[in-house]
Amino acid sequence: MYKKLYVIVAVLMLATMLLSACAPAAEEKTDCSKAETFCVGLVTDVGKIDDKSFNQSTWEGVKQAESELGAVVQYIETTDSKDYDKNIATFADEKYDVIVTVGFALGEATIAAAKAYPDIKFIGVDQSQSEVIPNLAGLVFPEDKAGFLVGALAAQMSETGKIGAVCGTDAVPAVWRFGEGYRAGAAYIDPAVEVNVVYHSDVGFDKTFTDPEWGKTTAISMIDKGVDVVFGAGGKTGNGALAGAAEKGVFAIGVDSDQYFTVPEAQKVLLSSAMKMLTPGTLELIKMAKEGSFPGGDYLGLAGYAPYHDVESQVPADVKAKMEEIDKALADGSLETGVAPVKPGG
Amino acid sequence: MEIRRYTFIALIIIVLIGVVVVVGKSEVSPGVIIVSMIATTIAVATPLTLGALTGVFCERAGVVNIGIEGMMLASAFFGWFGAIYMNTILKMGAFPSLIIGVIIAVITGGLLGLLHAVLSVTFKVDQIIGGTVINLLAVGISGFLNRQLFFEKGSIFGGQVPHAPGVLPRLHIPLLGDIPVVGTVFEQQPITIAAILLVIITHYVLFYTRWGLRTRAVGEHPRAADTVGINVYRMRYLNVIIGGLIAGLAGAYFTLESVPSFEPLMTNGRGFIALAAMIFGNWSPFGSWAAALVFGAASALQINLQFFRELIPPQWAFFQSSAVVGMVPYILTMLIMTGIIGKTRAPAADGIPYEK
Amino acid sequence: MDKSEPQVKEEKPNAFIRIVKQVGNALLVPLLAVITAMIVGGLVIAGAKGDPFAAYAGLFEGAFGTLRALSETTVWATPYIFAGLAVALAFKGGLFNIGAEGQLALGAVASAWVGYRLPELLGTTIPGAIHLPLTVGAGMLAGAIWGAIPGWLKAKTGAHEVINTIMMNYIALNLVSYLLNGPMKDPDPLNVIARTPLISEGAQIPVIFSKYRFHWGFILALVVAFLVWWLLWKTTLGFEIRTAGSNPDAGKYAGINVSRTIVLTMTLSGMLAGLAGAIEVTALNYRHELGFSQGYGFDAIAIALLGKSHPFGAVVGAILFGAMRNGATRMQFLTQIPVDVISVIQALILLFVAADAIVRFIYRIRAPREQVVLTRGWGK
Repeated sequence: MYKKLYVIVAVLMLATMLLSACAPAAEEKTDCSKAETFCVGLVTDVGKIDDKSFNQSTWEGVKQAESELGAVVQYIETTDSKDYDKNIATFADEKYDVIVTVGFALGEATIAAAKAYPDIKFIGVDQSQSEVIPNLAGLVFPEDKAGFLVGALAAQMSETGKIGAVCGTDAVPAVWRFGEGYRAGAAYIDPAVEVNVVYHSDVGFDKTFTDPEWGKTTAISMIDKGVDVVFGAGGKTGNGALAGAAEKGVFAIGVDSDQYFTVPEAQKVLLSSAMKMLTPGTLELIKMAKEGSFPGGDYLGLAGYAPYHDVESQVPADVKAKMEEIDKALADGSLETGVAPVKPGG
Repeated sequence: MEIRRYTFIALIIIVLIGVVVVVGKSEVSPGVIIVSMIATTIAVATPLTLGALTGVFCERAGVVNIGIEGMMLASAFFGWFGAIYMNTILKMGAFPSLIIGVIIAVITGGLLGLLHAVLSVTFKVDQIIGGTVINLLAVGISGFLNRQLFFEKGSIFGGQVPHAPGVLPRLHIPLLGDIPVVGTVFEQQPITIAAILLVIITHYVLFYTRWGLRTRAVGEHPRAADTVGINVYRMRYLNVIIGGLIAGLAGAYFTLESVPSFEPLMTNGRGFIALAAMIFGNWSPFGSWAAALVFGAASALQINLQFFRELIPPQWAFFQSSAVVGMVPYILTMLIMTGIIGKTRAPAADGIPYEK
Repeated sequence: MDKSEPQVKEEKPNAFIRIVKQVGNALLVPLLAVITAMIVGGLVIAGAKGDPFAAYAGLFEGAFGTLRALSETTVWATPYIFAGLAVALAFKGGLFNIGAEGQLALGAVASAWVGYRLPELLGTTIPGAIHLPLTVGAGMLAGAIWGAIPGWLKAKTGAHEVINTIMMNYIALNLVSYLLNGPMKDPDPLNVIARTPLISEGAQIPVIFSKYRFHWGFILALVVAFLVWWLLWKTTLGFEIRTAGSNPDAGKYAGINVSRTIVLTMTLSGMLAGLAGAIEVTALNYRHELGFSQGYGFDAIAIALLGKSHPFGAVVGAILFGAMRNGATRMQFLTQIPVDVISVIQALILLFVAADAIVRFIYRIRAPREQVVLTRGWGK
């Protein structure tokens, strides 16, 4: 019977551990329901907060709100899509003032939450809004324009007449727009330029942006066949492609942010990056939320191409001039990319 | 029998390359396609080959190892971390940092091998559990430390990911490397070359040395081995640790030879494919290598068919979807496995703890 | 465990006390193992400059602290129970089903297809009494087929089920990705996500509470766990499965058709995994979406092992894993400690539960007389 004693001891141990554990945690929490505390929470999609891609760039915007506006900031990483509602509700129930949700996959959950919590401002990154909800702003970007710009640049810089793109899955509309914009931009310069866009759709959602080895292998395979400009568009998978281009000594083009600063090993070949300004866009919207000028509906962020940095001297003046011309034409609407916002089904 | 199998595997690889040549020849010359396909095949096969060799060492000694995936992942992380630490904090320079990184990766693999040996040989824990523990542990530790050490609070590098020291350089092999066009195939990075050498060494050790004889003896019939004075526990311990060291090298391939970055879950199931390659190769080094190459060639086919997507004839339009082409390597493996290889035979005492 | 066993053995006198004792003894070591794992895990957290007490408080609060937390724990545990049972059943039959992941995903897709497409094809709504069983059945069937193929290949050609279940995982993954991005994609022009349309109302298992996500699937999972136990220990087929698993040669002499048993075991195993997917679709999400089901199949291996391949053990393991995965969100919210630490603790729990020699050594507990064989490695 002495074994029973062990059970009791064990249960007691567990209980004391839990009790001692519960005590200190309670007091440190900031109370977001107070009017003077401005709390901003971020919910990621199934990616990670340190993905060096859209989750991280958005989080950096939130972090800037911490330093510039004195906001209390916190994030929750989603591990399964069925938890989107639960994770948003975790912030909402703590009376956060602004909740940022990252990625198109959270679109519906964000809309539902915005309706359920009308006092909280929601920012949906990469979430296009079909109806205007006053407390929900969809931060969207014309990725096709950024892709178009770098596609045009690639087509002008290529000597072999072959350019390539290594992308994450085309099931993500932003990736699709980057890839197809790239194709359209190259065709705009010269329809004869051969554009190879490869999507990494053969693995799960959680892997498609985090497979640098595949990205590199694919890029090298392209370069072996004569491609001399590689656009890497898809988180770490794309970064692998940039590394492959650097190894083979051909031009590389980054994505999302100016990757001159995030992929140091590709600096000497990095021609430009197709940028979407996630960080400033997020900060801008948080500021508006604080000042009370929060816009409902879609909020268009900026997209563009990054400076040439180290390869500045290799880009001819006429190419630079042409790029500025295209940039202007895209901005004022006189030139359109012709890319559908979402991959047509079928 | 063996000859027939290898001929068949070689034929499959040739057919896979042939398909791409046929599809893409109007755009790129066949020579270029073949060289590129071979390069991709070898690159994809390297971690698989090493992982399969890990399995060969463990299982020939009678210890099932499904923890290859975790061993590779943990080694990839610690090797990468070590290299960055040496490069950024200790300022050792890129190449020495990389070498130390590889050493740390290999040691990490060895330590996990030791853990697996302690569990399965000393404590006689079900060997599937030992492997599962290692897989879970590796995912947790690498993900947790990657975040904790590199991101925000607690970061030892001030929140920014510091500059990685790059990747191991390609080696130029005299004579072979000087052949025009094909020569580039022989210009490989050190771990890739090591993988091929290790296949040959493992084959020699297993089948032509006393060590190998003893290893196989404890894997096939530990009781008999014990009777003739072979220390079963010691042989199992050492072989599992050797396997771990090789898995560590496979891990180093990911972060120090392929790409200079670490990603949570970056081994992406390749440890399990390596396991399949080992079974497929009938627990032999050359068989495993052949299986890894078939898988590599099938992956090369997948990448290249996407590249030549526009050239695929319309009646084959189904194959323009990257997800459909993505299935090809796996379906092929299954077909070959069942159609040609059929029944494979594990070492008789594989997976059974030895009781003195 | 303590729920069902008394019912079965009640005909014997003073059986109840014996069972309480048995259960107590059976739970003692695992409980100590969990505590040991938490302590070691706490050291890992502290070593990386985290506060283990705050972390565990958050974890516990998030898993059991409120009614909603409890409900969410069951939501997480449900697919784990089904998938854990799938792997455990295969283990009992001496087979290693690494393919639960693919079987689950395919089961979900098949369920979703019958759920939304069948009424469209027939041009009419189908009454729930017919449609719901069809929908769930389709998921089970898809999983069963996906499990049966490696089983059949093993029986016919001797091709190893480990290879084939791994390969079929990847094939399923690609197939699902193709279907959800192509033919089965929700045609709503506003939809940008790779997912199916909502299944029609008749195919949905009604919600129990409007406020909580606790659903019938959890209860069904417990019932199925009981059924699996009944199948394994109270039927001839179960006896054949266990014999083929523990000693196939003896099985042959006893007149068991081992090939047939292998195929049946894998079919049943796949069916259970497919049911996990079907329930996620019919009781929780009402559609299938890419990005759902990440690593359920692999966690299921750990759960089955944690439960020592026993159906009731798998239930306990699944609830433990579900609670930890669910509580992790709260833990991260309160402490910003990365959720990956959960995997470390889970690995440690499995380690200490499995290597009970270590726990017995630490706490000076005598070893039991008999040892249970869990898996047989690759063997034959």
